[in-house]
Parts: sequence; structure tokens; C-alpha cells
Amino acid sequence: MKLIKSIVRPNKVDEVKSALEKLHISGMTVTEVRGHGKQKGHTAIYRGQEYNVSLLPKMEIEVVVQDSIADDAIKAIIEAARTGEIGDGRVFVIPVGESYRIRTGEKEV
Amino acid sequence: MYVSMAASCYIDVTTGSWEHRAVITDVSLMRETYLRAMRSAASGEPLFATRISDYHTTLGWERTGGKSVDSSRTTMPDPQLSPVTASSDPRALRAARLGSARSELAEAAGRGEGGRQAMRQYSHRMDALIQQLFAEAGVVAQPVAVFALGGYGRRELCLYSDIDILILFSKSIDADAERFLHAFLNPLWDLGLTVGHHVREVREGERLESDNPEFLLALTDSRPIVGDATLLDAFFAYADTARTATRTLDALKTLIAERHARFNDTLYQLEPDVKESPGGLRDLFGAQTIALLTDPALLAQGGSGARALADAEEFLLRVRSVLHLDAKRPHDVLRHEAQERVAECLGYQGTSARQQVERFMGDYFRHARVIDRSLQWALRAAPAPVGPNLVRAADGIRFVDSRQAADHPETWLALFQAAIDSSCSVSDETLAVIEQNAGRHSHDAFLPTAEHRLALLRFFQPRPGLYERLSEMHDARLLGQLLPEFKAIDCRVVRDFYHKYTVDEHTLLTVRNIERLLEASPERQRFQRLLSEVDRPELLVLSLLYHDVGKGRESDDHAAESDRMTAKMCDRLRLDDESRAIVRFLVGEHLKMSVVAFRRDTEDPEIVRQFAALVGTEERLKMLCLLTLADVEAVSRETLTPWKEELLWRLYVDTYNHLTVAYGDEVIDSTQASQAEVVAGRPEDLPGAEVEAFLQGLPRRYLQLFTHRAIYAHVRASRHLEPGSIRTWLERKDSEWELTVITHDQPFLFSNFSGVLSLYGMDILRGYAFTKPDGLIVDSFRFSDLERFLELNQGGEAQIIKKLEEVVVGAVDVAARLKGREEGALTRRLPGFAPVIHTDNDSSPRYTIVEIVAENALGLLYRVSRAMSESGCDVDLVLISTEGRRAIDVFHLTRDGNKLSATQVTDVTASLQRVLEGRS
Repeated sequence: MKLIKSIVRPNKVDEVKSALEKLHISGMTVTEVRGHGKQKGHTAIYRGQEYNVSLLPKMEIEVVVQDSIADDAIKAIIEAARTGEIGDGRVFVIPVGESYRIRTGEKEV
Repeated sequence: MYVSMAASCYIDVTTGSWEHRAVITDVSLMRETYLRAMRSAASGEPLFATRISDYHTTLGWERTGGKSVDSSRTTMPDPQLSPVTASSDPRALRAARLGSARSELAEAAGRGEGGRQAMRQYSHRMDALIQQLFAEAGVVAQPVAVFALGGYGRRELCLYSDIDILILFSKSIDADAERFLHAFLNPLWDLGLTVGHHVREVREGERLESDNPEFLLALTDSRPIVGDATLLDAFFAYADTARTATRTLDALKTLIAERHARFNDTLYQLEPDVKESPGGLRDLFGAQTIALLTDPALLAQGGSGARALADAEEFLLRVRSVLHLDAKRPHDVLRHEAQERVAECLGYQGTSARQQVERFMGDYFRHARVIDRSLQWALRAAPAPVGPNLVRAADGIRFVDSRQAADHPETWLALFQAAIDSSCSVSDETLAVIEQNAGRHSHDAFLPTAEHRLALLRFFQPRPGLYERLSEMHDARLLGQLLPEFKAIDCRVVRDFYHKYTVDEHTLLTVRNIERLLEASPERQRFQRLLSEVDRPELLVLSLLYHDVGKGRESDDHAAESDRMTAKMCDRLRLDDESRAIVRFLVGEHLKMSVVAFRRDTEDPEIVRQFAALVGTEERLKMLCLLTLADVEAVSRETLTPWKEELLWRLYVDTYNHLTVAYGDEVIDSTQASQAEVVAGRPEDLPGAEVEAFLQGLPRRYLQLFTHRAIYAHVRASRHLEPGSIRTWLERKDSEWELTVITHDQPFLFSNFSGVLSLYGMDILRGYAFTKPDGLIVDSFRFSDLERFLELNQGGEAQIIKKLEEVVVGAVDVAARLKGREEGALTRRLPGFAPVIHTDNDSSPRYTIVEIVAENALGLLYRVSRAMSESGCDVDLVLISTEGRRAIDVFHLTRDGNKLSATQVTDVTASLQRVLEGRS
């Protein structure tokens, strides 16, 4: 199993969700986050004063999937979230050892 | 035989029965009929004129219709008045009448019955006497009336009491009025009466609160005797009732304290002064006055209670009557000798005189204690007057007279306004009164005049307590009457996963969120500043109240529905065009900013551009931003996360920058809808082609900033404009002025115009300067006249215009003229914040942008624009705004038609730096 953690633009969440649903990946976790990449955000000027926006608002979407569909999922996320401009985000993949369903206690591998 | 007295009724002199007829204010007619009555009295018929005063109160001097009342049609034979002798010398007649009235009272006093009833009788006779003298004093050319004040007003005249009267004239007191006064008052003095007379004209009601406090106190017990009684209403209409009442109460409290101090603050005097001692008559009247001015039911609610107080009053009056009788003058002290006499008169039993006196004095102190307790209660518990018919009590703001208020719904808003002003709530009782009566009246009754409508708008100013008051008004059904559309969302449930509250509560919570911004936490400072910069925050609150009214109807698009209902409200409140446009924009587009901020890619410049085009001006952007903030936060506690706030703020900043910077590059072209609108709505004398040609090349923003009317004026002014000539005009806008200038471009033109305004001491608040491709200038300055030059100088406008014309021709050296003024301004510079100069050579393809944020000072705009012109730059576009102490000016510069080079930018920045630091 893989944990796919993607950080995308806030307005791309719906598209990414739909793309994942098409792959029948239904479980996901969405968090409001802030951060920046290589470009360290940008400086905006308001009323002549610099006001540093280094921590830009983004959305983090996490899904845990079987290895077999991990690649498809990653591809789907990237395509849905891409605009081609700086600030599109990133996808990280982390191996997952075990997963348990709390309601029943059963383990999935 | 009828006698008509004091204007409202006829009395059959033979039988004593009476009838109400029409109101008669013609003094000559009164006099006529009176003299006829006197003549017939001379032939032996008794007069029943003494009943007149009673009839006044029964019929009332109120304009409630004059229905003839009631049961008090008892005849009262007048045994004391013997038929008048045939000689009928008026003076002797009067003296005889007074004498007989006095003996009647004296007899009652001697029997120990000189209390209220006997005094009323005596007062009636006094009234009749005054009416007679009034009629005999002759005709006066203006309406006039006589009112009884103080003790006489209360009908509690002792044998030798002063007579306090008010003679009120409708217009100013001229020779004719003086003559009348003398003719009226002299006979009174002749009779040996001590008359305290106050003469006023109706207009003097304006200064009532600064009038003599003794007069104000006596005025609280006023009663009409003769003449046009409506004059007193007119007199009071001029006065500020709340302030007058407060002043009267304060004066009363001081007088009471002083008087008590003279008696060492104890009521247990061995030889008490029945009038002046603590626990005496003055204390009693003091307590009654306090109740009259604040809460008529006050004395019944605490202290000794109404009954005990009435008994005490009767007792003291009887005592006083005996004292006056014995002394044959106004004597109120119960000396030891007098105590015996009084105890005897009042019928106290006892084996010895001493025992009688002890029993009597025991009663006296008992009554004095009753009065003292009630007075202390009144002093402690009386609510404070805060407005007409409004007082502030311990439980909140209340009506003084609920019944009267119930019939006048247009006064209810003032109640809530007073609550906000006094930072307290509205009493539950009063809310109940409002709730019970709200449905009785139609909507129009609540906001009948323009003043009331303005008061409603002013009420919506964001202030601490606004949400609470609006909630109270909503619960009491008042809000739904003032804003009928609001009724549609009362307790409205809309099945919505996100909203946690009913629609009406959600709406009120948005107002609370704005209110909370006033005392914002550090994270909210930036939004708080926006709120302080908004010109008309009351429009923001009004828009919030209406943003979801559309949810009351079944409809998919509640925003459009809300817009429709808002349009109706704007009509009903008769909002001016500008306000109307703002409110309809905010309600119609209230979802837009949250959609763009949270669901669109705000880093895409195109998205920002579109949003900026929708919003149009910075003012609307600020209001929409605040509205969005309030709305999202009122959905539920968790909806507005700091993360969302950040997105919202970023969109605000990006849009703001776009509006102030990029507007230069967005030029009007013929494909634009708004241009088509302006052309279509033009007046007949302007050809469409001319309007189009004028608009060509101007930034699109121009259409957002000026009304159509203003645009047409600009077009006309630009016709056949010779180089070196100028079309300019000044317009008054509320407390500010607006200067419009149309001319052809020249170097230093903008700086010279701002210089001229500074010469006259004007504080430039806002402004726009546009340069068309063909060199035509359209400048608009909004300024405030700090030194009141225009107010104090008749020809001030013409002077300024002349100066501007001279500037254009080159006949004025503005720099030299301003030097003196400038020097003063610079040396007086307060330690403020360091000025900021920000240059941007990248955002715009055509212009170099220079943004200056500095301490607002006289001549600032002149100096910086001059520095730019001196550096060789052309000032093409200027955006001027002032927020509090800060001036925020954005200049779009070019040089020889192009952007500045990097070195040129550095040069101009350096020179601006020098100017702002006062080094040049």
C-alpha cells in the first residue's frame, strides 16, 4: 500500500476528487495547509509596503491505495491539479505497512 | 345668559350647566361676552364662572377632539358672591371678589379644613379673576396665553401664597404686547397680590435648557388659565426635552441639598418650617416633580407609597392654612405659640394644651417622615431622561408614558438609538409594549418623514451593541415593520448542510461580526483597518441585513431574489442613487468574492482582472471583502478558518493592486457594454459620436468613478476648448467640495492645480486625474475646506476659479506663493511614520507606477507632483486617497511617451525622497 500525499492549489480540490473517484478510490483526507516550494512564495505590495506571502494557502489530499493502482492514482492527481504555472504543487509517495479499519478491527495489507 | 371664558366652553350663568362649543381664541369676542355677563351680574344674576378652570381639565387642552365629556356637570352655587352693586366700579369689584374668596378660604382654614379642596376652590376664584383681567386688558394683535405655574399650577394656593404665572406670546414682544402686559398686571398688583410673573415668547423655547432653574421647576406644574393654550406646546416643541429635563432635575437636587443643609439635614426641628424643612412641602413637591419628569408611577412604586403621601400633603396644607390665617402673611414656621393654635384648629383632643400639641406634633413628624422617605426613594430610584418620553432606568431604556408611545410608532426607533448611545439595553417591559403594539400600525407609520428614514440609516452604523438591539427589535416585531422584507426570513429554515442557524439569526450574526471587528484581535487588524476606511459603513450593515432575504422565497437563485427585494427597500427608503448602487451591488454580488477566493485560482492574473472589473472601485472592494468575511463567519463557528481568511485577504490585495495600478492599461473601447450605456443614455444635445470620441482612450475606470450626469458635463466642457483655456467648476458635496477641471495638458499642470488648492488651505482628500491620448485633461479633486474660506467668503469660488485660469495661462508662480505656507507646514510636521515610496516598472506595459504613502500634510500633493515634473516626467494618471492621517497617492508616469528607464526611476525616487524628508 502506498500513502499518496499531494499538495495542490485550493481551487483544484474538486477536480482531483473527481479524478480519484473515477478510479474508485473513495477514501481520502483533505487538510487546509500553508507552505511554499522552491520559489518561496512571492512578495506582494500593499499600499507601498512589502508584505511577504511566503506561506501560501494550499490543500493537502491524502489517499492510501493498493500498489497496483498507485501509479494510476498519481497520474490522475497530477493531471487534474496541473495548470502549468509555478505553484502547482507536489505529490509524495510513502510506503504503508498495515492498515486497520476501526469499526471492525480487520487488517488490510 | 352665557359667558365664554378661556376659550373652550360656554356656561349658562343662570343654571350653571355648561356645554362645550368651538374653541375661541379671539380675545375681543371673549371680552365682549364677558362684559355682557358682568352687566347682567350687576342686575343680580349669580355667576358660575368659577367652574371654568375645572372644565378645562375635564375637556383637556389637548387636541384630541374636544368631545364634550362627562359627569362633572354639578352646579356649584356660589354663596359668597353677593349680587354686585349697580355702581360696578371694576377695581372695587375685583377687590371684593378677592376678599370674598379669601374669607371663604380663611373660614375653612379656621375650621381646620384648609386642605386641598378649599385651596382648589380658592384657585378657581383666582383663575376667574385672572380671566377677567385678561379680558379687560384689551386686544393684543398676536396670540397670547396665561399659564399657572408652581403651586398655583397645582391649585394649592394658600391665603398669602405667591401667584406664579407665565405669560406666553406667540411672536416678539412689541409695544402693543407691553401695553397689554401692563394693563393685565397692574390690577393684580393693585389687589396686593404677590405675583411672580414670567414673560416669554414661543421662540425662546429654544433656549429653555439654559433658562433660570427656578422657572424650569415652576414650569413642570404648568396649567392653562386663559388664552391660546396651544402656545405652550409650541414653546416646548422648540426645546430639547431631555436636556431640559436633566437640567431641571439637577437644579432641583442642588436646591434640595442646599435647603437641607440649612436645616442641618434633619426633619426633627422643634419649630419646623412647614414649607422649607426637610420632610416639608418643598420636599414633597420635589419628589412629585422628579416623578413627573422621569416616571409618573415612581412614587407609587416605593418610598411611602401614594396614599400615605397624599395624606401627608393634606395634613401639611391644612397646617399651613392656619399659619397664614393667623399671621395674615406668608408665614410657614410652626413656632411654639402657633403649634397650640394649630392643634386647636385641627381639633386635637387632650386634657391640656400641652397634650394637644404633643399629639399634633407627633402626627406632624409622622407625616414629615413619610415625605422624607418618598423623597429619598425618588432621588435614588428615578430614571434619567435620555430623550423625549425616554428615560434610562436600572433595567434599561423605557418610555415615560407607554400609552402615549404605543400610539406613536415613529418614536420607537429613537428608543433603541438611545440604548446604543447609552450603552445599555431596552427594558423588558418596553419591549413587551412594542411587541403588543407593533402589529397595530401600518408600515408607513414607522418612517413617515425623510428625517426618520435618515435616522434609520444612521442607526445602522456599526457600533458596540448594534447586534443586541437589532435582535431585540426583531424579537419585538419592530424590525419587520421597519424593513418589511425582513419578515420573509423570520425563523426561516433552509435545508443546508453548511448553515447552522436560521436565516434571520444568520443575518443578524453577520452584523455582529462586523461589530466585533471594531475591537478586533491582532489577527484581524488588517480587516479592522478596512472597516475604518469605509466611507459609509451603515450601507454595509444595511446590505448585510438584506443579503439573504431572498431565501424567504422558494427560488434557486436567492441572490437575485434578494436583489429584487432590495430594490423595493431602496425605493421605500428613498436612497440616493449612489447609495442605491452600492447596496444593490453588495446584495447582488454577495457570493462573488467567496467563490473567487476559495474556489478559483487567485494566482491567475486573468481571474483577478475579471474580479476587479466586476468590483470597479476600491471602496466597493473593501465593502465586499468585509461583507464576505462577516457572511462566512456567520455560517458556523468553524467555517471561517485562518486559512480561508488568508485566501480572502490575498484576493483583496491582488484586486486592490490591480484596481490602483493596472487601470491605466485598461482603456475604454467601443466594444464595452458600459460605454454603450453611457452613449445610449446621453441627453439630446450630445451627438453619440461626440460622446464616443470623448471616451476613447480614457481608462475604463473613468466609467466607474463618475456618474453619467458628470460624464455628460465633462463632454460638454471639452467642446471647443482652446489651448490655454480651462473649463472648471466647484460643487458642494455634503460637508466637502468637488473641483472639476477640463483643459489641455501642459507641464506642471497637475502640481499647479494641487498647489492652488493648497494656497487656499484646502485639504485634498480624494481625487483622480486622467490624461487622454489627445492631451485632454480631466481632473477631479474632492477636498474639505479646513479654513472655511469658501464658507466665509461670498466670492470665494470665483476667486479660486480665477486663480486656476491664471495658472493655465502661466500668469501665476504657484511655487513662490506657496513658499510661506509650506515652510510653516513643514516645520510643524509631527513625528509620524516614515514615508514610503514604491516604484513599479514591471506591472504596466505603458507606465511607470509610483506609489507614495505619507503623512497627510498641506501641499504634499503639490510638492511630490512638482518633483516628478521637475525630473522630466509626465504625470498621466493620478489616484489620490486619504485614510485617516495617511495620504496614499498612485502616479502613472511616462517620459516622452514611454516608461522611465531604470536610472530615471532612481533619479525621481531620490528627488521624491528629498521632498518627503523636507530636505528640498
